Amino acid sequence: MTEDFSRRSLLRAAAALAGGGLLVGCAPGASRSTTDLSYWHLLTGGDGTVMAGLVDAVNAANLGFHTSQTVLAWGPPYYTKLAMASAGGRAPDVAIMHASRIAGYAPGGLLEPWDLDLLAEAGLHESDFPARVWEKCQYDGKLYAIALDTHPFVLYYNTDHAEKAGVTDALHSLKSPEEFTEVATKLQAVTGKHGLSYGYLGDGSQMWRLFYTLYRQTGADMKLVPGQRAEVDKDAAVQVLTFIRSLLNDKIASRSGDGGTATSEFLHGESGLFFGGVWELPVLKDAKMPVDALPIPTMFGTQAAYADSHTFVLPRQSKVSPERRKHVYTMVAELLKRSVKWAGGGHIPAYQPVATSAEYQALKPQSNYAGIPAYVNYDPQVWFSGAGSDFQNYFAENVQNVYLGNGDPGAGFDGFVARLNKLLDRPQPV
Amino acid sequence: MIKQGHKPGENPWSLSRIAALLVLAFLAATWLVPFAWSVLTSLKSEADAGASTLSLNPPDGLSFAAYRKVLSAGDIPSWAWNSLITSVAITVITVATSALAGYAFSRVNFKGKRWLYAAIIAAIIIPPQLLIVPLFRQMLAFNLVDTYWGIILPQAFAPAMVLILKRFFDQIPLELEEAARVDGASRLRVFWSVVLPLSRPILAAVAIFVFIGAWNNFLWPFIVTTDAHLMTLPVGLQTVKSAYGLQYAQNMASAILAALPLVVVFLFFQRQIIKGIATTGFGGQ
Amino acid sequence: MRKRDETLAGWAFATPFAVLFVLFLVVPAVYGLYLSFTGETLTGAGSGLIGFANYGEALTDPDMWKSLGNTLWFTVLSTIPLVVLSLALALLVNLGLPGRWLWRLSFFMPYLLASTVVVMFWSWMYNPTLGLINGVLAKFGAAPVAWLQDPKVAMLSVVITTLWWTIGFNFLLYLAALQNIPEQQFEAAAIDGAGKWRQLFSIVIPQLTPTTMLILTLQILASLKVFDQIYMLTNGGPAGKTRSIVQYIYESGFTGYRFGYSSAISYLFFALIVVVSLAQYKLINRRSAA
Repeated sequence: MTEDFSRRSLLRAAAALAGGGLLVGCAPGASRSTTDLSYWHLLTGGDGTVMAGLVDAVNAANLGFHTSQTVLAWGPPYYTKLAMASAGGRAPDVAIMHASRIAGYAPGGLLEPWDLDLLAEAGLHESDFPARVWEKCQYDGKLYAIALDTHPFVLYYNTDHAEKAGVTDALHSLKSPEEFTEVATKLQAVTGKHGLSYGYLGDGSQMWRLFYTLYRQTGADMKLVPGQRAEVDKDAAVQVLTFIRSLLNDKIASRSGDGGTATSEFLHGESGLFFGGVWELPVLKDAKMPVDALPIPTMFGTQAAYADSHTFVLPRQSKVSPERRKHVYTMVAELLKRSVKWAGGGHIPAYQPVATSAEYQALKPQSNYAGIPAYVNYDPQVWFSGAGSDFQNYFAENVQNVYLGNGDPGAGFDGFVARLNKLLDRPQPV
Repeated sequence: MIKQGHKPGENPWSLSRIAALLVLAFLAATWLVPFAWSVLTSLKSEADAGASTLSLNPPDGLSFAAYRKVLSAGDIPSWAWNSLITSVAITVITVATSALAGYAFSRVNFKGKRWLYAAIIAAIIIPPQLLIVPLFRQMLAFNLVDTYWGIILPQAFAPAMVLILKRFFDQIPLELEEAARVDGASRLRVFWSVVLPLSRPILAAVAIFVFIGAWNNFLWPFIVTTDAHLMTLPVGLQTVKSAYGLQYAQNMASAILAALPLVVVFLFFQRQIIKGIATTGFGGQ
Repeated sequence: MRKRDETLAGWAFATPFAVLFVLFLVVPAVYGLYLSFTGETLTGAGSGLIGFANYGEALTDPDMWKSLGNTLWFTVLSTIPLVVLSLALALLVNLGLPGRWLWRLSFFMPYLLASTVVVMFWSWMYNPTLGLINGVLAKFGAAPVAWLQDPKVAMLSVVITTLWWTIGFNFLLYLAALQNIPEQQFEAAAIDGAGKWRQLFSIVIPQLTPTTMLILTLQILASLKVFDQIYMLTNGGPAGKTRSIVQYIYESGFTGYRFGYSSAISYLFFALIVVVSLAQYKLINRRSAA
């Protein structure tokens, strides 16, 4: 995306207009060279900067191809555009997709599976990835995605405040919701404002991440199979929702915390704990605050953690160039080999040679939660779930009132399940 | 005299007029605040723009750095070019086809005229937003997704404009045309050399209206383009993000740059544009 | 013979328009109707006819009703100030106070901006921590408001943005209409001793009735079709509180991949628009007949 590019596209457009080429051609990709790879992703902010750096590094390695990235707005806009591009056959050569979204794309033929032999040629093998992560990248027995990372929802804490409140050890060893509340209350006494920051207002993903982590900690599962009713554990859900709402009492945590407010509150030392994704780490580190991170403590008996993974996928193209496809395998392998840089952004690298390297293990606080991939919990696998999907919106629509303290946990959860059953009743559209 | 303002003999600075002026000034200022605040932000450094103080005099000073960054990234100029090409094409095609059709409805008694006219009137109430799904399917079938024509064609006609032009042509005295026809000129000739020159103001009004609509349209170009290089300005700004983080100053600079072309055009042609919108707005019914 | 010539000429003139009209309006309208009776998806699966199943589902779909409710609520909230305030602005500007071009420019300029630009400006104004509005509120000691995230105020924020953006159009129509009121009427009224306010209510506003009717009609239809600014400001959130029906059509089709279902909602909504249009038509006709 240099000045050269804009001049070229200007000339191309002018030529097309003059020559009437406007009528038929102009399809990007129709005349793209075999060495120019197009790569779509939704990574902005710190992640975007790191990814751009990785792409530049791979380009600079002169491996016989050049990758141009297109960054689209996170969430529904990105996934909608990707599906539409695939349906139109003009998709990019490679794209980033959350592992949780694969079930919504693979069955409709919007994605193409990776070829294990070609992967092996590029130096990538099943054994290079954590088992649970590799499994999530499969659909119907085929491999549709290569994971770049695992990015769980974790607990950050302000180390200074924790020292002062004398809860550092408790944080690492607490085993029940009551103990958590006690720690948070002690921290609240230290900060004088809130003990915990948690931004959820108007953000279904955030509500879901915490809920699902704790729900899975009770040992409950959520099975969604089209044509059948949702298999859920209401008692567990009510227990968890009741606990979450007990934290959002405007003392321990603000009842009206949205993402921005919660982050800035924690950044400014106005709280001691912070529920957030590992992707928040760069912002916290940049602020040079005394921060550490942990997996969310096991409060309900079973070790569990909500996470998702950024993965590489091959969107369906109407005309596949074998040369470009081959370059894509190399490009992905090269990005993975450099993914310790990616870990700088908080994510846990999926590529085991990197994850087990001394360089990664030395990263703090990243390595504190490096064990999560072994017990990670992804969204229930079904076509309508996943990051930025309607699924999380439905959760928010039914449960936000509960979080806000004026809805009944049981009724809220029932509403959510009713919505799920409705979706499960429908024929799968992909 | 309502048009010129105060009546002769009436005190131009009566208390009530001053009060009215103050109210007006307050409202106008309110209306300008979002512009002003965005312009100010776009001139700040990223650090100052991201600081939570309402400073009119930021520590890093004011500069065009954000504009330079945005322009050198290259996306905005190419999106603006896409917007220009497609909007011009839409305007030219719409005005040409509407004028021809409007003339046929006004002056020619052809078989099927009533039927077609009724269809056009009925079509005015169909919101194009409701057709996005079938149109997208159609564009896939025609292989026009991600092409300029895919953006242009579904926008390049406007039933309401046909009606406006027909009504205008109805008012042109027939004698003017008959004189030319007696001289043996063909219909097309008469249309070209008699009717069109007389219709310049209304054609300009229609063209302005259509151009503004096309330049600013979001939903259709948003649906029919997935390739970032072919997006129009409004779509590109919304869909494509910078990989380098939330940059408020650059964000606002992009918005200002995107707003600039029409605002400048407006400053130059204020009178014509206002007249054009008033005419076509009324004519729409 | 002559008649044939006329027909030939007529169609020669009308064809360029008619081709586009048929290809890009009639065909998709009919095709959409057909789609609404199928289970067709983005990937082309489920293309068989399924009768009225989509319509049945839409009529029992809480999200459809919610979006429709939001749309109607938005229409009410936006139409009233967009008509009343635009009239007030036009009356004020028409007083002939100095600086007329500046007033006109201020109120009209936003109308020239693309929705994307409008939303970029206003997302920045509404930003909870860095925005101007909360910044000013803080100066007065007020608590920050989550303008776009709080379910109680999000719709209001959308309406404010819409008001700012589109009032210029109605304002111009009123201004043009005001200038067409014959001068003699005021002189006659002044001779009768009618004061300024009296003139306003007994001459100006009645004279403006056709314009008001026109603006009201255009405004209601425009508000019912709202999509851009809501989609970009709140994406229909928080918790679906601002999702409009056009956004639901877009989401069902392009995010949920269900082309058939989306088409069915389109047609239900179209039916509503026809009803609203007919009602307005009747109302206006009765008024002008009376």
